Amino acid sequence: MADQEPLRRGIQIGLIAFAILTYAILIGIPIRLGAAAFPVLSALVALFIFAMLRRPMKGYPADRPAISIIRQAVTAGLIAGALVAALIWLFTSLMADGVRLQPIFDKVVPQNIAALHNVSPGAIANGEVSWTSPLLQIGMMALAGLAGAGLVLLNRSQGADSLRARRIPGAKWIVIVLPFVLMLFVIWLGQPAATFGGAHKGTVRLLLAMITFGSGLFSLRQASQPRERIIVGVLLTAGALYMPFTLDQFQNSVMGLVFIFAMMGLGLNIVVGYAGLLDLGYVAFFAIGAYVYAFISAPFSSPFITQQLINLGIDPNTPLLGFWLAMPVTMAIACVSGALLGIPVLRMRGDYLAIVTLGFGEIIRLFMLNMAPLTNGPRGLLRIAPPAFGSFALGSPRYIFLLALLGAGLIAFAAYRLNDSRLGRAWTAMRDDEDVAQATGINLVRTKLLAFATGATFAGLAGQLYAARQVNIFPENFTLFVSIDALSIIIVGGLGSIPGVVLGALALKGLPEVLRGIDEYRIVAFAALLVIMMIVKPEGIMPAARRKRQLRRDDIPVEESPGPNPDSGAAASLEERSS
Amino acid sequence: MPLLAASHVTKVFGGLTAVNRVDLEIEKKTIASLIGPNGAGKTTFFNCLTGLYKPEGGEILFDGQPLIGRRPDQITALGIARTYQNIRLFGTMTALENVMVGQHVEMHSTTLGALLRTHATREEERRAIERAHELLEFVGLGGEEDTVARNLAYGDQRLLEIARALGSSPKLLLLDEPAAGMNPSETEEMMALVRRLRDKLGITILLIEHDMRVVMNVSDQVSVLDYGEKIAEGTPDEVRANPRVVEAYLGPGVHEESGDGRLPRRKPVTPPVSAA
Repeated sequence: MADQEPLRRGIQIGLIAFAILTYAILIGIPIRLGAAAFPVLSALVALFIFAMLRRPMKGYPADRPAISIIRQAVTAGLIAGALVAALIWLFTSLMADGVRLQPIFDKVVPQNIAALHNVSPGAIANGEVSWTSPLLQIGMMALAGLAGAGLVLLNRSQGADSLRARRIPGAKWIVIVLPFVLMLFVIWLGQPAATFGGAHKGTVRLLLAMITFGSGLFSLRQASQPRERIIVGVLLTAGALYMPFTLDQFQNSVMGLVFIFAMMGLGLNIVVGYAGLLDLGYVAFFAIGAYVYAFISAPFSSPFITQQLINLGIDPNTPLLGFWLAMPVTMAIACVSGALLGIPVLRMRGDYLAIVTLGFGEIIRLFMLNMAPLTNGPRGLLRIAPPAFGSFALGSPRYIFLLALLGAGLIAFAAYRLNDSRLGRAWTAMRDDEDVAQATGINLVRTKLLAFATGATFAGLAGQLYAARQVNIFPENFTLFVSIDALSIIIVGGLGSIPGVVLGALALKGLPEVLRGIDEYRIVAFAALLVIMMIVKPEGIMPAARRKRQLRRDDIPVEESPGPNPDSGAAASLEERSS
Repeated sequence: MPLLAASHVTKVFGGLTAVNRVDLEIEKKTIASLIGPNGAGKTTFFNCLTGLYKPEGGEILFDGQPLIGRRPDQITALGIARTYQNIRLFGTMTALENVMVGQHVEMHSTTLGALLRTHATREEERRAIERAHELLEFVGLGGEEDTVARNLAYGDQRLLEIARALGSSPKLLLLDEPAAGMNPSETEEMMALVRRLRDKLGITILLIEHDMRVVMNVSDQVSVLDYGEKIAEGTPDEVRANPRVVEAYLGPGVHEESGDGRLPRRKPVTPPVSAA
């Protein structure tokens, strides 16, 4: 009797895995994978089973017998295997009978099914598939279940958090050194002679570059001693700044966009993550930054400004200010508009605030769309000047990426210092309990406006760089989806966590580019990835230390290890100062 | 001159007069108590003092300054701090950070100062941390500095609320049921702490409390509210002997029924006085 429940759960997991496999087959993923299709799908099922079983089942001891887990996982694998083999066999026999499924499922073609059987498409049409093939498929899925159980047991034997380096001596150093190894690999891949990844070498390299940045953040977090921190930090910075010079144009262009969004996410993180003010119209400040810089550097694009300049006797065909001198202007205007938005919404909270800010974002976009004399309407502002040092233009993707890196670093630094100050504490207090914060002496008006204004300033800076990257900007660049992207970035990364925002930007803006291989389904695949991510790690990839304790209470005992905790930025720096 | 002088304070919610023409004076460095049955208007009166509610009538002078019309944060800056009946800490912050938020009005660092981490800002932060440690030590939370507030034990959360309130160096501290939910020995410690606040730090205290042992033990002055009106005031002994207080808590006796149509009153939370 006692084993009924685990088995039922195993069957459930098998059914879900079957649903995922069906989806993958219907959208034609096997076509892309070719001969490797079924093994790859099996590996995915193994990972899925591991993800589902890695936590102890409710009502069962964490150390229930290995045989129970194995039985459960193999059941899941068998169920998924039997069902998917039946489905594939159904398709196979229908195709052998000459039934065309393509009008209904446009990706269910002989090529697709053939990949699953690892035979040639012609064999499908001729009905030459051996009856042993489904048995082989069921067997592979059962093995996948076994592999999933193995992963669960391996994970369990190393403690609940095997990745937490302080449990395994030496692992800490592996994590610290990993980004440098990856970096060397990325550089090596850049050599024309390197053939790793074949035709997909560029994509592989881009993915590796992103993983390198991600692992760099984990590396920095692992360096616990102040001195280690400085050395690792300096080396990582040097590595990051070298990265643009080794990647190619496309890779740099993607990474530039990633880090522009990281800049924006870091700004939004102040408003939403620190101060708890849910802002859905954040794109407005990004747009304002971009348009202000466009007005300054390409005044001839705007009929109204051109006219004014001619009246004043100024030549409208040259930029009014260079990129660097324009920076304070854009930031100041974004800052003021942030404060101006803040004033009407001061008394609003939560949902109401979200709706009003959402409206503000749309107002700005519609303004830009319809104020044709000023903004040139849907035709946009064209030929925006790139940043330059003297006569040396920095407009190529390489330098835009470099500037975005520097900008993100600068904003991260500012955000860290602000959060670790009287103002940052006031923001957190306001987020936790607004009324009590006020009764404790915090001026809500001032604190809220500062949050909006700081966030807007950073978004403005990101917008300016974005305008320089795009060269031509249009109102369509600044839709609601940009706000949603920015918000997703900070939620996926971990609300209130600076490295989390960068990781979120890499995952959300970078991964879709890597996933271009599965073209039209990439957004769907990506959405599935997000849903899974939010189920498995609701507090984000790299959560802020305090927030983590807030969301996962059952994990607290694991968190409370003696000694300095590198996870808690604020707490650690308090310790440093008090010792 | 009394530290706090409230006269004719009135607060109306719709048709309900929650606080009705209440006068209250508190002398410096005394411990005053505000008691009364549930719903008598005690917490509402607190909220009027701290600016969370704006009274419809009356006047409140604190240290010679009028309070009505000021925002809660301005009132805190003048020197009034409070705790809450249902504990309201900043749950995600550590104990130390909670006390540092309490010190907000005492600190002056600017946004630019925080960005550049100027010498003055660093000095101020260092002093604030030192002071937060002292205050936690004072209320008996030494060693809990880095515990996240919501993970503290219940009694410790009450203590942390007091430490946070002390952060603003108040002249007047309002304690809303500080001993609620505490066991007898914790209550003893709380009474000792309240006395130390007055004797060591020279803080004037106004407390709401249902536990009559606390009220009778620590108070220099007791005021009794019922139906939003002040019905008695005096030393603990005077209040204990006042028949209107007994009536408010226990309801009028059957033979004492005045015939004004008032129904027998709700039950007291804690029997106020021994029958003797």
